[in-house]
Amino acid sequence: MLKFKLYYDKDAEEIWLREMSLKGWALKKFFLGFYTFEPCEPGEYNYQIDLLDNWNGNKSDYASFMEDLGVEVVDQWWRWVYLRKKAADGPFEMYTDVESKIDLYRKIMNFFKIALVIEVICFFIELTATIRTGSLMFGALTVLIGAISLALLKVVWKCKWKIEQLQNEESQQR
Amino acid sequence: MDNSTPLTEALFYILLAVRTPNHGYGIIQDISEMTDGRVVLGPGTLYGAINSMLTKGWICLYSEDKESRKKKEYLVTSIGREIFKNEVKRLNELVKNAKKMDEG
Repeated sequence: MLKFKLYYDKDAEEIWLREMSLKGWALKKFFLGFYTFEPCEPGEYNYQIDLLDNWNGNKSDYASFMEDLGVEVVDQWWRWVYLRKKAADGPFEMYTDVESKIDLYRKIMNFFKIALVIEVICFFIELTATIRTGSLMFGALTVLIGAISLALLKVVWKCKWKIEQLQNEESQQR
Repeated sequence: MDNSTPLTEALFYILLAVRTPNHGYGIIQDISEMTDGRVVLGPGTLYGAINSMLTKGWICLYSEDKESRKKKEYLVTSIGREIFKNEVKRLNELVKNAKKMDEG
């Protein structure tokens, strides 16, 4: 089964993948918003999504480390990895302490910050082109890129909010 | 010892768990046993902590099973032991001072 969805929030995406698993559909492949599912026992897997430090580094090292812990790398798209663990093997949470959760959201925030900068640069290039040529096509592109930029801004802002929440939690513990 | 203390609970227990050669799964199991299931490290937390401690030289790779190419084992280094000792010193001071609460 193939589904198309755009997620900007990996936490919501994880919940959706769990719901799909409960319905008997296990994620097999991901590419640019296209999710391929294959049948599984209802509730067989729990999913987590991780962001690697770099996208060419020691991929196999990461995968074999996870495999030793009963975690399977389902698919990788650029720096993003989709992981699953059999629900029968116990709970599955990649990051269990506040420090590593903050590290993860900081990594995600920086990832989207770079994407945001690139989109904003594209936005101004398209905007200039629209003004110069008065072309409708450039205008439409400008609006589209503007919308993507706003969505990315929202993600960065949300990550920042999550980091602040975690930092509050941390200072309350101490 | 610069800014390495206080150690996070995860780093403290991982250092302890690799006092003898230990692999990822073993580290998680040992820590869970030591804390009666209170501290169960997530795979991502463990992976990040191990890599950062390898970089800092607190732990090293002990062996890499050549046949299965899996199950890397880690072992604490002398730097790691030093860091751990300093943290214990700090914790002992905390406990010693904490007793003042009962003495009134």
